[in-house]
Amino acid sequence: MSRPTVTRKALVAALLKKEALAYSRDTLYLFLTGLVLVMIVVLATVVPDSVEEQITLGVSPPVSELIANATDELKRLGATEQQLAELDEADLAEGDEGLDLVQFETADDLSAVVKGDLEAWRTADGGLVLRDPGSGESKPTDAERLSVSIGIAFPPTFVSDVASKQDGVEVTVFSDASVPPEIQGAMQSFVREAGYQLAGEELPVTMPDEDSIVLGQDRSGDQISLRDKLIPMLAFLILMMETFSMSSLISVEVLQRTVGALLVTPVRVADFLFAKTVFGTGLAFSQGVVVLAIVGAFTTANWSVLMVTMLLGALMFTGIAMVVGSAGKDFIGQLFYSMAYVIPLMIPAFGVLFPGSAAPWIQVLPSYPVIASLVGASVYELGWPELWTSLAYALAWVCVIYIAGLVALKRKVESL
Amino acid sequence: MSLSRVLRIAKKDFALGPRSPLFLYTLLLPVVLTLVFQVAFGSLFAPQPRLGIVDQGDSEIAELLVAEEGIDVTLIDNEQELKQQVEANDLDAGMVLTPGIDEKIRTGARPPLDFYISGESYASNRIILTVTAIDTLRVVEGGNAPITVNVENFGEAGLPVSTRLIPVIVFYALVMAGVFTPGSSIVEEKEKGTLMALLVTPVRTSEVLAAKWVFGATLALAMSTVTLALNRALGGNALDLLVVLAIAAAMTAMLGLLVGVFSKNSTVLFGLLKGVGWFLFAPAIFYLFPNWPQWIAKLFPLYWIIDPIWQVGVMGERVTTVAFELAVAVAITIALVPLTLWLARRMQAQMAAG
Repeated sequence: MSRPTVTRKALVAALLKKEALAYSRDTLYLFLTGLVLVMIVVLATVVPDSVEEQITLGVSPPVSELIANATDELKRLGATEQQLAELDEADLAEGDEGLDLVQFETADDLSAVVKGDLEAWRTADGGLVLRDPGSGESKPTDAERLSVSIGIAFPPTFVSDVASKQDGVEVTVFSDASVPPEIQGAMQSFVREAGYQLAGEELPVTMPDEDSIVLGQDRSGDQISLRDKLIPMLAFLILMMETFSMSSLISVEVLQRTVGALLVTPVRVADFLFAKTVFGTGLAFSQGVVVLAIVGAFTTANWSVLMVTMLLGALMFTGIAMVVGSAGKDFIGQLFYSMAYVIPLMIPAFGVLFPGSAAPWIQVLPSYPVIASLVGASVYELGWPELWTSLAYALAWVCVIYIAGLVALKRKVESL
Repeated sequence: MSLSRVLRIAKKDFALGPRSPLFLYTLLLPVVLTLVFQVAFGSLFAPQPRLGIVDQGDSEIAELLVAEEGIDVTLIDNEQELKQQVEANDLDAGMVLTPGIDEKIRTGARPPLDFYISGESYASNRIILTVTAIDTLRVVEGGNAPITVNVENFGEAGLPVSTRLIPVIVFYALVMAGVFTPGSSIVEEKEKGTLMALLVTPVRTSEVLAAKWVFGATLALAMSTVTLALNRALGGNALDLLVVLAIAAAMTAMLGLLVGVFSKNSTVLFGLLKGVGWFLFAPAIFYLFPNWPQWIAKLFPLYWIIDPIWQVGVMGERVTTVAFELAVAVAITIALVPLTLWLARRMQAQMAAG
């Protein structure tokens, strides 16, 4: 009697169906996985998408008043009408790049705001409104609350006094004690240097041309936000989290010896390993891609690189899940064993949050090229030409880890 | 309920506990987290501007900048390496001090200064480093500043990030020892059938749970104390802190019992903790961001134990100042008892049904 032939494709499909059924049977786990996905997306949405890179600095009196008060003295010192007009037209109130100047009429107002006795609000047209929070005044509408924790009170005749080299010119820096020492120190330096410049004293060194001193792409005003940095990290963490669920599925099969039962059917060890690979990789990959899509990480330029990177990452963690799962430990043992692999691999992901390049010892970790490619593609919008070396390095690690996983699981399955 | 049976079961858990890798993990976690959070993430939340200096001639400028408060100065061997580090944003800025630069500045020769800024450095850091460097050059130049700068400070300095991270670390110590350890112990006994075996003896379910609670609470009390000691946050009054930690340990251990009796197996336990972990963890984040509306933290159950630990352990307050918070924590703990017992009865019925 001839038995119907079962194709390998049908066997693998049946195994995948079994995996999906086992995974979906635990509705609580499924619900919680969905919940974590949603929370990660929410987290990526609520984290600030801009970088506050300016120091808010209060000054009194307004810069225009300081200049107006100095006009006569500057004329007496020989300034031409043209020089005065240029000074008048220069929008000094804009401040330097990196400084957000908030101008107060009096030193008392400035001091009260820094002290916290008054609130400073900037209206839509750029005006300044002071509010006494203790008086029950309503908050100004269409206005933004300013956080002025440091300010400089110049004497009204500051410019003319310094320009005419008078002795005893004093400037007061008001500061909240929580302002970091480097900012307090810098503001004092800033005032002193303003004094030197007004007194006509040149810098003691020749500074290079401004264009030539910035190394790398100048991102001033266009910094990478925490949200941008979090996106690749979260996608990576999702890949990593699936190590736990995948290794748990494998452990259960090993512990309960269901794999032995499978192997008395036409299923071969290779079919079993292939199905595990497809299911584990597909599960991690699809969850990671869904998160990346929801947070808008894909662009027409980076989608292919991102997809390949996620695939490599998913395959890497499937390999780890195979190694962990094939040990056939109980839940606690498996959790601890997973941690031993996963914690070192997490380090490059957290390294993304720090400025600058990763330390050499971090760069040799297997997960580094995956996270570096994710960051390159999603944050810096790099493409294949810039990332292929990193991806090749990732592929090499994936091959090593995946083959190790396959061998470990194959040996375990055959030993049962 | 027999106290002697409760203590006997608890003794068994203490004797067998160290064999579990989770137990080891619970012991190591506070140390590892203290190290990671305080050393690594402390600098993440409070980054200092980073300046690299190539000092080719023992310049006084380098000495003065190294001594500058709030600036992270690195001395580098050569200009090429400096430029590479600045370009990679390993440094916010860098400068090269050529041989004899101090003397040239003093004589008014205005020597060229090689100064580099990283394209990825924040505008605020550029200003801080540039004006600080120029001010230092003025000091070396030796002239008198044309103005006098007076500083008036208001208020008290904010707490450093390393201190504000303590609730996060204590949270993990409490949850691992108080929630995860007794929870997983119950689940493990269910899975291995030892709980069923226990229950066919004169031991009652409530006694097993009481023993697990003693186990979790003792471990949580010990680990939270160790964590606070590692972070030098033992407050001013040991007895006050002990009261606070005992209530915190009692509450977390009760949560541990709850998740243990609710979870039918390890996967559910892990999934449950993975899902509700955010809910438990939320109040600890508010200490990192004091400008957030703090009332939101009160919506989360662990706020009522984390805040008393913060007030008494970190801020050195007396236990009386957090009496209300502790009363809420005790009320939550007591409210969880009937729920836990009800779930335990359900668990027993499920085990009996096979």
